Amino acid sequence: MRMSPARLALTVYFVIGVIFLIFPLIMLVPLSFGESQFLQFPPQKLSWKWYAEFFNDDSWLRATLLSLRVGIGATIISLVVGTLAAVALVRGQFVGRGLLMSLMVAPLILPTVILALALYILFLRWRWVDNALALTAAHAVIALPYVILVVSTALKGFDITIERAARILGAGPVRAFVSVTLPYLMPSLFAGGLLAFFASFDELIVTMFVSGGLETLPVRIWNDLKLRLDPTVAAVACMLIVVSVAGMGLAEYFRQRNLRRYHNS
Amino acid sequence: MSRKVARTILLLAPGLILIGFLFLFPLFGVLKLSLFNPGFTTASFEKLVASPVALLVMERTFILALTVTVLSVVTGYPIAYYLATSSPRWRTILVYLILLPFWTSILIRTYTWMVVLGREGLVNSVLQWTGLIDGPTQLLFTGLAVHLAMVQILMPIVIITCYSTMIEIDEGLIRAARTLGATPGQAFAKVFLPLSLPGVATGAAMCFILSLGFYITPALLGGRRNVMLSNLIDFEVHQTLNWSFASVLALVLLAATLVALGLFRLVAPRRRDQG
Repeated sequence: MRMSPARLALTVYFVIGVIFLIFPLIMLVPLSFGESQFLQFPPQKLSWKWYAEFFNDDSWLRATLLSLRVGIGATIISLVVGTLAAVALVRGQFVGRGLLMSLMVAPLILPTVILALALYILFLRWRWVDNALALTAAHAVIALPYVILVVSTALKGFDITIERAARILGAGPVRAFVSVTLPYLMPSLFAGGLLAFFASFDELIVTMFVSGGLETLPVRIWNDLKLRLDPTVAAVACMLIVVSVAGMGLAEYFRQRNLRRYHNS
Repeated sequence: MSRKVARTILLLAPGLILIGFLFLFPLFGVLKLSLFNPGFTTASFEKLVASPVALLVMERTFILALTVTVLSVVTGYPIAYYLATSSPRWRTILVYLILLPFWTSILIRTYTWMVVLGREGLVNSVLQWTGLIDGPTQLLFTGLAVHLAMVQILMPIVIITCYSTMIEIDEGLIRAARTLGATPGQAFAKVFLPLSLPGVATGAAMCFILSLGFYITPALLGGRRNVMLSNLIDFEVHQTLNWSFASVLALVLLAATLVALGLFRLVAPRRRDQG
């Protein structure tokens, strides 16, 4: 099939647009594998120097470990709390349901700096600053909207008569939910969990306000960027891009799986 | 019936505790800090109105958010259109090209612009190599850098929301318009464009609201002349230690966000029901 001139122009525009979106990310690859402090074209010599720098530096590793711990904690909290709330919000019939839903997804829209300031003031009073557990709880608030949105969308597509059938056959409400509805929700729980994890793992602003001396990975990167431009950050960023693209891609895959089932039924 | 009510309350309890203690209650603290000292006072607001810096930053933030939104919509719409009108087999792959940058954190995408626009960065190297400039020119810490990066960061959101509305448009309507004698241009302008507007409105609203609260990108790529409302709040908290003033600024940012959200709901009442 031959392309019309208009379509050809649009294709060219699309390619330019995609280059604009992706190109800055790709620039990091030669920088992270180069020898020098600065970007050189073509790269003079390939080396793993900056990657080694990351793995040999205690502060980078500690920051990564803290980010993982906080991220996993926040994921577990938001997944449990969010799934329970989603069940009530989708199935319950009560006044203010819509308002409650908006409230629970509000952290997604609210400018983060407002929440950061609010939590900072509160944590200072409670002496919660510099506390990894408190940081995890704060991250759970930020991760909660993702779980609620993904799980409630999946629940709306679930045929509740299947769960009713289990009830009629003698299962209690909890057992019916766990053995019938939960398996159906699994892909969405994976998707919601992954989104929640990355919401926490990438979080910078709230963490900077409330973490005191604790350094998560984004805070470590931020401190580096404020002081100097060291290609170690490029190496870290390259690894993070791979990890988040894989993780978010997986989340998208699981989310689509629940959606597709909904459309087929 | 009452057992059902009890169950609903039980299911909601953990969420209410989390959101209550770590979202509503702290926000209330901000409200209190800006309006009470210890009795009700508008002193902080009077200070705000009298502060040329705060007013300038507020105006600048609003203009930046508006500019970035318009740029993202205008440049993103044709990309969404291209995606929506390409063959279904290609479509799924092409959409991932848009999602790929979207999945990377804002901090890292901002950093990539520091690399591209820096003194030794790619743009400067290319410009010097072609002989257009003699020495490195200042690209980092300018308004241009902030605009470029913010459009790159937010455009995928606009593209995805426009795209998801566009693929729902019935192709038969376009064909009908063509059969009735419309040129491709007319069919687009009179049928496709109006039907795609809800997606444009959603994308623009999201883009605008997110832009209002941008912190990382202006902080890293903008200079002193690109301090935004979020950065000023941070400055008041950590540098001048003026918390009540920071709280007032936060309240202004919150109000702006809510107004933008309200306007969007008003203009686009035909929203899918969420509940």
